[in-house]
Amino acid sequence: MESTLHLTLNGRRRGDLVPDNMLLVDYLREVAALTGTKIGCDGGECGACTVLVDGRPRHSCLTLAGACQGRHVETIESLEEGGRMAALQRGFHEKLGAQCGFCTPGMIMAAEGLLRATPDPGTEDIRASMASNICRCTGYIKIIEAVQAAARELAP
Amino acid sequence: MNRVAAPVSSIGLSQPLVDGPEKVTGRARYAADLASPQALVGRLLRSPVSHAEITALDTSAARRIPGVVAVITGDDCDETFGILPIAQNEYPLARGRVRYRGEPLAAVAAVDAETAQRAIDAIEFAYDELPAYYTAADARADGAVELHAERPGNIDRHAEFELGDVDGGFEAADLVREETYHCAEICQVQSEPHAVLADYDAERDRITVSPSTQVPYYVHLMLAKTLKMEKSRIRVVKPYIGGGFGCRTEALNVDLICALLARAAKGAVRIVASREETFITHRGRPETGLRLKIGLKQDGTITAVECHAVQRGGAYSGYGLVTILYNGSLLYALYDIEAIRYEGFRVLTNTPPCGAMRGHGTVNARFAFENLLDAMAAEMGLDAFAVRRANMLKAPTFTTNDLMINSYGLPQCLDWVEEASGWKERKGRLGPNRGLGMACSHYISGASKPVNWTGEPHATVHLKVDFDGSITLLTGAAEIGQGSSTVLVQCVAEVLGLDMSRIRIIAADSALTPKDNGSYSSRVTYMVGNAAIQAATELKRVLVEAAAAKLDARPEDVECLGEVYRAATQDEGLAFDEVVVAALAETGTLTVKGNYDTIPESHGGKKYRGAAIGGSMAFSYAAQAVEVSVDPDTAQITVEKVWVAHDCGKALNPLAVEGQVQGSVWMGMGQALSEETHYHKGLGITSNMLDYRVPTIVESPPIEVKIIESMDPHGPFGAKEAGEGSLSGFLPALASAVADAIGVRPVELPMTPDRLMRLMEKGGRSG
Amino acid sequence: MEYMPEFRLCAPASVDEAVGLAAADAGARYLSGGTDLVVNVRRGIERPAALIDLSAIGELKDIDEDDGGLRLGAGVVLRDLAENETLRRDFAAVAEAALAVAGPTHREYATLGGNLCLDTRCLFYNQSEWWRGANDYCLKKEGETCHVAPKGSFCFAAFSGDVAPALLVSGAEVELAGPEGRRRIPLAELYNDDGMDHLALKAGELVAAVHLPGAVAGVPSAYAKARVRGSIDFPLAGAAVALAMKGGGVEDLRVGLTAVGPRPFLVEDTERFADAPLDGAALDDLREMVRAQAQPMRTTTVAPWYRRRVAGNLARRLAAGLAAASP
Repeated sequence: MESTLHLTLNGRRRGDLVPDNMLLVDYLREVAALTGTKIGCDGGECGACTVLVDGRPRHSCLTLAGACQGRHVETIESLEEGGRMAALQRGFHEKLGAQCGFCTPGMIMAAEGLLRATPDPGTEDIRASMASNICRCTGYIKIIEAVQAAARELAP
Repeated sequence: MNRVAAPVSSIGLSQPLVDGPEKVTGRARYAADLASPQALVGRLLRSPVSHAEITALDTSAARRIPGVVAVITGDDCDETFGILPIAQNEYPLARGRVRYRGEPLAAVAAVDAETAQRAIDAIEFAYDELPAYYTAADARADGAVELHAERPGNIDRHAEFELGDVDGGFEAADLVREETYHCAEICQVQSEPHAVLADYDAERDRITVSPSTQVPYYVHLMLAKTLKMEKSRIRVVKPYIGGGFGCRTEALNVDLICALLARAAKGAVRIVASREETFITHRGRPETGLRLKIGLKQDGTITAVECHAVQRGGAYSGYGLVTILYNGSLLYALYDIEAIRYEGFRVLTNTPPCGAMRGHGTVNARFAFENLLDAMAAEMGLDAFAVRRANMLKAPTFTTNDLMINSYGLPQCLDWVEEASGWKERKGRLGPNRGLGMACSHYISGASKPVNWTGEPHATVHLKVDFDGSITLLTGAAEIGQGSSTVLVQCVAEVLGLDMSRIRIIAADSALTPKDNGSYSSRVTYMVGNAAIQAATELKRVLVEAAAAKLDARPEDVECLGEVYRAATQDEGLAFDEVVVAALAETGTLTVKGNYDTIPESHGGKKYRGAAIGGSMAFSYAAQAVEVSVDPDTAQITVEKVWVAHDCGKALNPLAVEGQVQGSVWMGMGQALSEETHYHKGLGITSNMLDYRVPTIVESPPIEVKIIESMDPHGPFGAKEAGEGSLSGFLPALASAVADAIGVRPVELPMTPDRLMRLMEKGGRSG
Repeated sequence: MEYMPEFRLCAPASVDEAVGLAAADAGARYLSGGTDLVVNVRRGIERPAALIDLSAIGELKDIDEDDGGLRLGAGVVLRDLAENETLRRDFAAVAEAALAVAGPTHREYATLGGNLCLDTRCLFYNQSEWWRGANDYCLKKEGETCHVAPKGSFCFAAFSGDVAPALLVSGAEVELAGPEGRRRIPLAELYNDDGMDHLALKAGELVAAVHLPGAVAGVPSAYAKARVRGSIDFPLAGAAVALAMKGGGVEDLRVGLTAVGPRPFLVEDTERFADAPLDGAALDDLREMVRAQAQPMRTTTVAPWYRRRVAGNLARRLAAGLAAASP
């Protein structure tokens, strides 16, 4: 079975014929060719596939594409502004929140979800909100610094 | 234009990674991301049994399924592979016998995943089961069936040495203690599951392979061997790599199978392994049983050491013999110890093959050593720092087993950690269930004699300068997230006095870049960094000569100010672009080369068999203190804080050094607290990221890093290793802190709550 | 591209429509957040002919005042549950349990109903199709042997939801909707003591809501779980305690446990603490009582011995904390 999926992806409305059993992550990577969203585990254990659905973080590897009918989906590719890194991306870059970079898109999208709800997070807010995302390189210290740097940059 | 310029410095300054923007924007393409719309999907049939003779593998039904383009089995490749030329005993797809559950038997290339899976399900596998061994003891038992005919008794390697007067040392000691330790097997669990894209050009009989590897060159060699293709027909292009930590320091079966499939399918095939398959491919740190004995005098000096180790290596050799040799030889080079007796057994078992995980060979032995030393110091009423200080080496020196040490910042590491952690005031005074512990560790900066060495330079870097004035750094060194590309750009920029943005880097494409052994054993900064410096120095010489000719001056009178070259007497000088034009006028496009060779003194002597193992140009040193609290109700350990000082010679990029040290300490924490593989009759029962517990951000502590710069005389700008040396110290420091907190000392890893609760309640070891 | 079995996806707009779809297709399964079910589908453990996605049904997402208590729609996501002020005030254990589930991203879309209907878990069950096939499957699914207790015919897979024990100590009832209409049962009756068949739902029934009684609102309660990591992990053992004190003595003490057997349950015999102070000796009794009734088996890598002991310790600690805080 397949049906037409209409959604807003990174601010653009689109419609695609999508099999019922297709995961959102496969829709993003294979249909929409947005490979920034990564697959790091066999389902919900690592957070590398985190995207925003209607503004909230969600595992795209446990979400059926068909369940996103009419919704707004945002991926790592949506964040850059005018070809420049967004504050969070700059934070991860400059503070070395990304080493190998594979967990980074999911990590940044989780952080994006956090900052939209909590613009000035403390260390414990960051720990609490990013605890579905596994990083194997950094020990998370510089990830926390990266999010804090972004929050500072975004502060009014 | 203002030509009163000054050379730009980049060494010693914190630099974000040169490939950082790609990673944070999602533009970085890892092997699973590479565009290849026509690529077929490759999937593997894996053995459901641990140990069996293959009696039939019928693929005929699979081949008949529409959409299946190629099916291959062990019949399609009769060449073995393996990282060590003397221990290549693994086939890409099993031939004759399977030796562990999950070993690849057959592979399918099909138009989509569903079709490929249907084909896999349609392959019929018949076998005669053999006895299987899941522990080293069972595999070594009398009468055990041999996994490999050429390895009697299932001993992959028996290593032993005795140096100095060990028995005399124990006799001279004021206290001799012996303890046994058990370290569970762990796995790298790098963020990116294994993936590879292979594209076979049937018209030209060439193949291009993009594997998720740390060692494109070794993959290239094994592709040539298993495909029986000339090396010149193979191109290996490294994509972005999502970490490795040692599991990708040898060609993996998926890399080779994908290439074999692509050739069979006459096109492009991609294999993206699941996380479970990535666990099965393994190459992690082996389960290790250790028996350790130390002799200590009341003044803190270590008089003798005896170590006995057994590693469960898995079904194939891989790096195994190196691991069991490092386990012994690197008991040296941290402290001034004369007498050591070592015996180690690497055992073949029916479990996935182990490999060279971060801190290769040193970690479990260091856990045991520091743990026992700490316990003995406590028993003798000696301070943990004082005991270490009583055994310091004095650089330059050679250890008893001939390891060369020219820089040694361990004393400064100890001083900082003692001060920063408030050791003197706080040790033993943190109240109930809270404790402080410490330990030291070290690691090599690359092996002085690499595996597969045929005498060529250890590292080669090319710099290309063309009409556009840009400098392109060409290196085979594999950036895998550790920041090697950044540090190489820094080295070149520093020598030329240029801003790093002038330099582009292309890393690890065999068609473009000089061969490099790859990213393992912390060799890149030291060896490739030195080659980059030499290349940049050569480029500078060429540019200075060109500037001199243009300025009508002698080369020695030309001053390089980075963007400006001028003769000493002149004010104006030439812009860099003008110098390039002048240089190119002579020769056309410039390509200069830098090489690096280790010195023979670093290779290790012949005092005992395997002494060269561990020989390195330099050793990093680290000390760390760990503060913990233990929940008496749950026996849960919380790491509150870590203070770590790491002697990396010279921090070329302090930001990256900090990141490496934090990552190392934290990875040690994972092994110490929560990570372990379990098998059920050889089936990996923890082959997912829920049951194999990589720490989350919640339980990950602040790690304060102090960089100690001992300025290694041979290192690039004085630098040495930064990415491994501080890992192994965490484990014993944690045991020491737990002992301080609750009065019982863990000797088993990981210190999970059930193990710790048993220790707390029974005072003994857990079952 | 991830390998996925074939199924149809339906997105009903109402509970009635959902129930009708389920009635029409015996192979259909309800899908809520999907944090549990989609993993099992990906592993081939579940092979539904159709998934009935409940996420578009508005009725399931409401939290309403209900006769002094609360009616919680089964589709409320755990994050909203954890942050709900009324719940945090009146039924603290429920909010704490919701906050303890998995990790923050999971809680953004995992639902109350999903957590209550979580499949039971076991090391020999939560594995890939290849893995289970290589191990001759297991009693719970497609096989003949329980690898946890090979001689028995009982499935010990552990129920591992965090919220259920907190609801149990709060006297919750569940509202079920099915082809025969709606019914309300005590939460305890939703569960069977059988790892193979732990949900007492009739064919086509779904959990529509949870009712928390006004009579219990404001009774101090708390939840704690043992796990190796600070996030993501399922409980190795979880305990919820509700404690009403009166005049220095226990008025009502309830302890709910999870992850120590095939179903969440209320610890029996806690009435015997009534009217006496909850002193050290009583707390020790409570700990031993919990340990005696918790019967975890080797369904996780962590030793059952530990899970039983820590369940007692957690219950004791929570009860002691609540007792100390009561006026």
